[in-house]
Formats: sequence, structure tokens, C-alpha cells
Amino acid sequence: MEEDLSNTKEMSGKILDTIAQKKHAAMIERLSNLHQSRLQQSISRKSDSNGPSPFESTKSFLDRFSEAKRSIQNELDRCRQVSDPDSKARLKSELEKISVSISDLERLVSENSYYLPSYEVRSSLKTISELKESLDNVNSEVLPKKKFAFKNKATKKDQTSVAQGPDVRVSDKVVAEKSNFQIRESPGFRNREGGILVKHFKSSEEGDFTLSDLNSCEVRLTGVLRALFIHRLRNCRVFVGPVLGSILIEEVDRCLFMLASHQIRIHHARETDFYLRVRSRPIIEDSSSVRFAPYLLFYEGIEKDLNDSILDGETGNWANVDDFRWLRAIQSPNWSILPDDERVSTVNISNSETPSQSEEI
Amino acid sequence: MGLLSIIRKIKRKEKEMRILMVGLDNSGKTTIVLRINGEDTSVISPTLGFNIKTIKYEKYTLNIWDVGGQRTIRSYWRNYFEQTDGLVWVVDSSDVRRLDDCKMELDNLLKEERLSGASLLILANKQDIQGALTPNEIAKVLNLGAMDKTRHWKIVGCSAYTGEGLLEGFNWLVQDIASRIYVLD
Ligand SMILES: Nc1nc2c(ncn2[C@@H]2O[C@H](COP(=O)(O)OP(=O)(O)O)[C@@H](O)[C@H]2O)c(=O)[nH]1
Ligand SMILES: [Mg+2]
Repeated sequence: MEEDLSNTKEMSGKILDTIAQKKHAAMIERLSNLHQSRLQQSISRKSDSNGPSPFESTKSFLDRFSEAKRSIQNELDRCRQVSDPDSKARLKSELEKISVSISDLERLVSENSYYLPSYEVRSSLKTISELKESLDNVNSEVLPKKKFAFKNKATKKDQTSVAQGPDVRVSDKVVAEKSNFQIRESPGFRNREGGILVKHFKSSEEGDFTLSDLNSCEVRLTGVLRALFIHRLRNCRVFVGPVLGSILIEEVDRCLFMLASHQIRIHHARETDFYLRVRSRPIIEDSSSVRFAPYLLFYEGIEKDLNDSILDGETGNWANVDDFRWLRAIQSPNWSILPDDERVSTVNISNSETPSQSEEI
Repeated sequence: MGLLSIIRKIKRKEKEMRILMVGLDNSGKTTIVLRINGEDTSVISPTLGFNIKTIKYEKYTLNIWDVGGQRTIRSYWRNYFEQTDGLVWVVDSSDVRRLDDCKMELDNLLKEERLSGASLLILANKQDIQGALTPNEIAKVLNLGAMDKTRHWKIVGCSAYTGEGLLEGFNWLVQDIASRIYVLD
């Protein structure tokens, strides 16, 4: 090694100027650090594997992987068959252990993925998601009570989700220092109570818009916008023309939304009805008692707006909701389809209908 | 095993680079990856878990990990840190309200020892939106000036919609990684 290094140095001395040399030296240092860390991992892994070069051997990875997979499957089968009350009492913690093992396995894949052929990475990931699914199935087979439990609204939302590893990071102790730099606010309606808030977007604008801290308001946005942020709304009715990008909704309570967008993400919503047209699957997270129906909005020119934003034509996605907190094959208890007889009929927010007390910006 | 052998090893793997895409949910990570891979970006559902894309870029093979960014799985990012050569932190430049959150998560990430050698590209995405913060403003809010001096980093404004800035950003990232890892060719 010394040899090679000095060789390189000699050569470099001839062709590189001093700056490049410095850069070179720094690079070698980084490289050797990287090498050192890779080496260390290799050593720590050697202990429980016996291939000639376990660090980089696909075969030894696959051996480890399939062994772990087998043992997880065995555990799952065992849990499925448990019948005596004593073992039943221990089931919950056993299932949690399995969940941890699956996370470990997933980590094993991501740690080794930098040298694995991509086919192996993909098929390992597929196996992992199958294991997760069987775990969920066993969970709901043998511990069904959660499904029927009466949800208390005040219940903390800390039921462990399957996606979460055992090592949840506590990040809230990190207090973000406020910089003295003044951030300008984006356009929006904020801190209003009991009004009718109307805004039309001209086609030249293509901006974003924010609705935040509204109580008992009705909001009517017509025209096309690029992005919409909704934060802390209570008791509001919100009617919005097509959004070319995405809509992000956080903390809404007892509201009605009529929205068309390419992407819709809903976090911390309760008792709220969503009438949607979406190009992709809408997602909810940390939400409960939310219901979904198709978009039923009308104003003069909405057809053109929908066309321009590629949101003409029903996609059916309003009903394809993914609950990121409920990663199971069975229907999430947090959302449902709004029954036909409880849906509002088409809402017309054409200008002519704007009541005189409305507030325009 | 000396320096040279590790270099040979890297060469044998045909100049692969492992790149991790992270950032808050809705910042545009998945759209960016699909865009640089020339795929259809018209329908993208939010990412649960992660996607991997293998992209040929000049003479390099990039393994790009696109990891979901919603709060419930951020603690999970660390499972992907191992052997990361490049880190792409994507910011929604129009989401002013969550910039604090964004700064906090980035600061957390950069404390990770396993990422200490990774080049960092910050993409100030969604520049096509009127009123989006400029890369300069984002740099101020995220206080990038105070970054560890040993870190190689760059901020670039971009739009996954128009494609603007993406090439510039990834070009820098790949060259920076290459100059660290493959210089002894
Ligand atoms: N206007 C605009 N919207 C974008 C841009 N990039 C992504 N988006 C939209 O932002 C939303 C979130 O994008 P996605 O890639 O799913 O974000 P991720 O959660 O970071 O993977 C989608 O609706 C995208 O269409 C951009 O450059 N400009
Ligand atoms: Mg995504």
C-alpha cells in the first residue's frame, strides 16, 4: 500500500498544482475513512457468518436473509396456532418482537444494498413486505379487539404503526433556532372567523395559496392554482377549483372540503367530509371519522379550468384512500365512503351566487 | 487490505453511487427521481416506504433511494444511511410554514455520523410556483452558512415540473462524489 501511495504522490507532484494536491490529500483521507468504516463493518459481520468475504458476498447475504426469513415465518405460524390462555397473554409482546425482527431484516437489506445486485434488493424488499403483511394478518386474527374498540377522541395517536422501527427518534428536544431573517408569507386567508372568503385566480397567476386558522368560514376559490396549503380549520366549508400540483391538509375538524388536485395528503383530520377528484391516491395519516365522496363543484368556467389542469374526467380515486397509519389488508376504521343519501348535491359557487357580505381579496 | 484493494473493489462495481433522496413529504422527491429518469410524472401517489431507481448517468450507475417523508416514517430514514455517497435534501420552496420543520429534520440528519462523508445537494424545488422562496432565501432560513466546513454541499433552485435546475444539481453531485471516490483511476 505504501508503495502505491508514494507512486501516486510522485505522479501527482508532477502534474498537479498545490491546490489539487491538497484536494487529493483530503480525498485520500476521506477515502481511507470510508474504507475504514466499511472494513469495521465487515469485521463486525464476520463473526456471525462464515463465507470467505462475507462483507461483499451476495451469497452470504442471501443465506442470512433466508435464515432470518424462515425464523420469522416460523414465529408467525406459531403465533397463529396458539390456543392456551397462558401463551395467548404473551402474544402481543411476541408479535411486537416479530415486528422488530422484520425491521432488522429490512435494515440488513438497506445496509447491504450498495453491493447487492438490484434484482436481489428488489426481491428481498418484496419478501419483507410480504412478511409485514402476514404479520398484520396474524395481528388482526389473534388480536382483533382493537378493530372493534370504541375510539375515544382524546386517545393519543401513539399506537405503534407497523412502519415504525423500534428506535423512534426523539426529535422534539431539538429546538429550531429562529433566524432573524424575515420570511414573507404566501398569499392566503388566515385567522378569520365566521366569514365568506372568496378569491378568483387568474390564469396568469399560477401561484400557491394558504388557508390557515379559520373558524366557521365558507371559502370559495375559483380558477386554477398550483398548490394549496390548509392548516387548522374548524367548522368550515371549503370549495376549491382545480389545483395543478398538490394539496396538503393538516389539522382540520368538522369541515367539508370540495377539492380537485393531482395529489392530496390529509394529516390529523377528524369528522370531516371530502368531496374529491384526484389523479393519484389520496392519503390520510393520523385521521379519524373522515368520509369521502366524488367532487361536485360547479362555477362558470370550471370545465375549462379542469381541462387545463388535466382534471377533467372522473378518476375514481376519491374512493382509493390509503391510510398510512393502517398498513393492513383490511379496511381502515379511520375512513369510509360517504353514503349516497348523506351527500350534498352539486354546489354552485358562480359569481352571481356570491352573497353581498362576502369578503374578497 | 490496503487502500488500493478497496479502490479496485470500487472499480469492479462499475462506478456505482448510492444516493439518498430525503426531505419532508410533498417536497417533490418522487417527481424529481421520475423526471431525471425520463418517466411519466403525471400520476404520482405519495410514497409509503421507499422506491429504488437505478439510473445511468454518464459513466456512472446511480442507485437512487427515494424514501417517504411523512412524519410517521421519518424515524425510519436511518435504515438507509449505510454507505450513502450522496444526499439530496429536497425542499418545497413554496411551503413556508413547514420550513422550521424542514430545518430541524435536516439538522438532525446532518448529525448522523454515517452520513458525514456524503456530499449534500439541496434542491430548492417548485421554483415554477409564483412566490416560491429563492434558493438564497432557503439557504438563509436553513442557515446553510453555518454548515460543518468539511461538508461538500451546494444548493440549487429547481422545478421538477419544468426540469429546470435538475441537471445542474445532479451534475454537481455526481462530479463531487466522483472526485472523492474515483480520482485514482
Ligand atoms: N408546482 C410544482 N409542483 C411540484 C413540483 N415537484 C413536485 N410537485 C408536486 O408536489 C407534489 C408532491 O410531489 P412528490 O414527488 O409526491 O413528493 P414527495 O413526497 O417528496 O415524494 C405532487 O403533487 C407533485 O406534482 C414542482 O417542481 N413544481
Ligand atoms: Mg414520494
